[in-house]
Amino acid sequence: MTVALSTLPGEAAPVAERPVLEVEELVVEYASRSRTTRAVDGVSLAIAPGEIVGLAGESGCGKSTLGNAIMQVLRPPARIASGRVLFHGEDLVRLSGEQLRRHRWRNVSMVFQSAMNALNPVLRVSDQFVDMMRSHERVSKRDAVGRAGELLELVGIDRRRLRAYPHELSGGMRQRVIIAMALALEPELVIMDEPTTALDVVVQREILQQVRELQRARGFAVLFVTHDLSLLLELAHRVAIMYAGEIVEVAPAAALRDDARHPYTAGLLSSFPPLTGPVERLSGIPGSPPDLAAPPSGCRFHPRCPHCVPGDTALHRRQVAERPVLREVAPGHLVACHLVEEGL
Amino acid sequence: MRFFARRLAFYAFAVWVALTLNFLLPRLMPGSPIGGVLQRLSPSQIQANPGIIKTYQALLGGGSGSIWHDYVVYLHRLAHLDFGVSTSNYPSHVSAVIGRVLPYSIFLVGVAFILSFVLGTAIGMVAAWRRGGGFDSVIVPVFMALSAFPAFFTGLVAVYVLGLKLHWFPIQHAYDSGLVPGFNWAFLTSALRHSELPILVIVAAYAGGWVLNMRTVMINTVGEDYVAMAHAKGLRDRRVMTRYAARNAILPPLNGFAAQFAGAVGGLVFIEYVFSYPGAGLTLQQAALGNDYPLTQALLLVFALCVIAANFVMDLLNVLLDPRVRTG
Amino acid sequence: MSQLQPTIELAPATTPAARTRLRIPGWPALLLRNPKSRAGIVLVGFMVIVALIAPLISVSNPTDFNLLAARQAPSWHHLFGTTDQGSDIFSQVVLGARRSLVLGALAGLLATVLATTLGVLAAYSGGVVDEAVNFLTNVFLVIPTIPLLVVISAYLKSRSMGTMIVVLALTLWAFEARILRGQALSLKNRDFVLAAKVAGESTWRIVFGEIMPNMISRIAAAFVLVFYVSLLVDAGLEFLGLGDTTHVSWGMTLYWAQTNSAVLQGEWWPFLFPGLALVITVLGLTLILAGIDEVSNPRLRDEVRRRGFLRSLVLPVRRAA
Repeated sequence: MTVALSTLPGEAAPVAERPVLEVEELVVEYASRSRTTRAVDGVSLAIAPGEIVGLAGESGCGKSTLGNAIMQVLRPPARIASGRVLFHGEDLVRLSGEQLRRHRWRNVSMVFQSAMNALNPVLRVSDQFVDMMRSHERVSKRDAVGRAGELLELVGIDRRRLRAYPHELSGGMRQRVIIAMALALEPELVIMDEPTTALDVVVQREILQQVRELQRARGFAVLFVTHDLSLLLELAHRVAIMYAGEIVEVAPAAALRDDARHPYTAGLLSSFPPLTGPVERLSGIPGSPPDLAAPPSGCRFHPRCPHCVPGDTALHRRQVAERPVLREVAPGHLVACHLVEEGL
Repeated sequence: MRFFARRLAFYAFAVWVALTLNFLLPRLMPGSPIGGVLQRLSPSQIQANPGIIKTYQALLGGGSGSIWHDYVVYLHRLAHLDFGVSTSNYPSHVSAVIGRVLPYSIFLVGVAFILSFVLGTAIGMVAAWRRGGGFDSVIVPVFMALSAFPAFFTGLVAVYVLGLKLHWFPIQHAYDSGLVPGFNWAFLTSALRHSELPILVIVAAYAGGWVLNMRTVMINTVGEDYVAMAHAKGLRDRRVMTRYAARNAILPPLNGFAAQFAGAVGGLVFIEYVFSYPGAGLTLQQAALGNDYPLTQALLLVFALCVIAANFVMDLLNVLLDPRVRTG
Repeated sequence: MSQLQPTIELAPATTPAARTRLRIPGWPALLLRNPKSRAGIVLVGFMVIVALIAPLISVSNPTDFNLLAARQAPSWHHLFGTTDQGSDIFSQVVLGARRSLVLGALAGLLATVLATTLGVLAAYSGGVVDEAVNFLTNVFLVIPTIPLLVVISAYLKSRSMGTMIVVLALTLWAFEARILRGQALSLKNRDFVLAAKVAGESTWRIVFGEIMPNMISRIAAAFVLVFYVSLLVDAGLEFLGLGDTTHVSWGMTLYWAQTNSAVLQGEWWPFLFPGLALVITVLGLTLILAGIDEVSNPRLRDEVRRRGFLRSLVLPVRRAA
């Protein structure tokens, strides 16, 4: 049923030199009159050149907010409260308006969540390409249109479609148009926020396949945000799991699949059937994600954690009172969990 | 094209309804309007125009023929633009009276309406873009307050304060007395000068509606993904505001274009009355008071045709600005 | 404020499907809690009180003329000054409140009944009926209201209040019908309506029992809209000289001021006070309208629909099996 992607999960990640992007202790808050919600709470993450990093978690865990914060397109009332977002060592949070404008898309581009709404419905596809190119470089309209045509062909769309309006394209085509747009200025990092969620499975596979091929040919890095962990295990080199605004586990895809250490990751893995082999009982995770305005004390996962047994034990006291920190359990494999720390 | 065919059919029907309403109104009313007309004509006038009574019977009823016969004659008259003689402007023909006063109104309402549209949507756009900013919290309430005032009251206050006390504007009529209307400098400058205050009042009364509409829609549009993506693409702020947010936000308010115009045309009657501005609105008021039914009837038709024309312009703009209407 | 907070009451959990039901103190409280509509209610309430006590605070006959007291600026003796006939403007304004409020309310009521019945029935029935009503409202919207009313008033021999109410309701219902039809169309395919249809309820029962209670806020908003538009238009027509010259109203006071060129003679009081009375009333009603819109905004409306409390205000809540 499923079309296998060309990459095998175990494929070696590119040798990490200096990261393209480093997120350091980032905190994003949504402030309303009565309360402040921390959607991203102290997240650190680095992405190496040419690396595909997956970011997974339930809806509302802050993964899209993290993507938007890196792109610096947070909408009020969301704002970066503290922390840094470094692009080749330069802090994007401190950039002035015009510096930031020049940085966007040229260095980091983004494929938005909904293909349906990310294109301006009243402009032709060509105009949306031209607008973007001419905001960054001096190029004649003719040349810009020419390049836009090449980009469309790169993602398998007839260049005559440049004259189309978004509503004249199918959902899959629109998403390809956006991908073509994201690659137009040859950025070093492309953030993809649930790029295929709204599409049907076959189209989804085709597009992912294409993303993988383009990524290998052109060597850009990808931050792929999705709730679909199974997809990431196939696509990404490295996967970060987010829960309630925090990253709870980071590991190479293969390590995560075979040796997930955090009970939440284990829960996520058991909530979808294996692609091959017999279907076992799916256990899933009981309960629902916490309210980020009043997160649970200690480990945020403890109210749902199957290993958190109430009782007068030292472990339980730590689980409800102390925030676990990420610790390396194997090369490149980090987990934030009291159980792991206690060696259980 | 199907879209246009459908719209044109609708307008044709609307014109027919307006014509028929015009025909039926005097016949539905208690009493005979033709009596009012004949009272105002002296016997010598009737004698000089032997056909005059027949014309009025066709236009207003009161003849001996069947209503269907009257209706056919009525339509026949209108096809020849024969609305009869205006009793309050005897012996001028109704069509001549309208030809004389209509240009003033078209100028007044045309300029004022376009100004309030441009100004109102621009203010609404910027207010929504910088929501909660100084502009949004000062200029917008001022326009809202102004538009809450009945137009004629704003007009009276403006005449008193800006005209009578401050002497900034002439306050009466369309041009200085003593000038003869024509294409000469003295007349045109005088006419322009006299139109300033009425235009200002119309803008004050109607821009607020556009401000509110545009602001409301634009606030929602600013939250759309394509605006976020335009930002992410590194476009300049102003370009995102105009070409991405405002360009889409303008579409829903534009659908109120015709209704707003109908409102402005109605308001014109009051404004012209306040300023004694000799346009179609003042003429309608005078004709209504003077029981000059042929003139009121013809003017109502003219007003309806103007609003229908505005509807058509709205359709054109919609097709021009929204590709989804074109193909959908 | 706290006593106005909605109290959430859990239905007895006899079945797993038992759901929370919200009980609130009702419409007036909701509107009073919104700052805009509260201000509006204060303004309109003030006018209503003025209209009620008008005979107590006005002179016996406000159209009495007294040439010795003509054209007087406001003073302790004549709070709002006098007309060129020497009539007391204060008395005219306070008595005039009666006509505007009664006329606006009745015309609004009549137009709302018309628009609701036609708009909702059309939307629910669909097909030819809907097409016809939609077409009719669109045609009505194309004919400019003010000129039409000017012409009708010219033909009318009697310009009594009753006649004006009927005429205004008949010319203004289309605006309302269009809004209400749109609202009803969106409600028509909601689950609770479909459920009622499947349960075999009659059309009338569904329209009046299921759809209408859910658009109460829209209907109320449409009523307030026609209320102030018609009192404004009525005053405007009187101002143009198309009113009943024997009556006392804001429009007539304005008309006499204009006819006697009060403004050009530098007299501000004959038009300022009736004009301000109009502005206060219209402003109050606009604020109430804004409050209704805010109270029934989509987010809150969703909550309302989910919990069904608006329905419970009109009908005893029936639990669907």
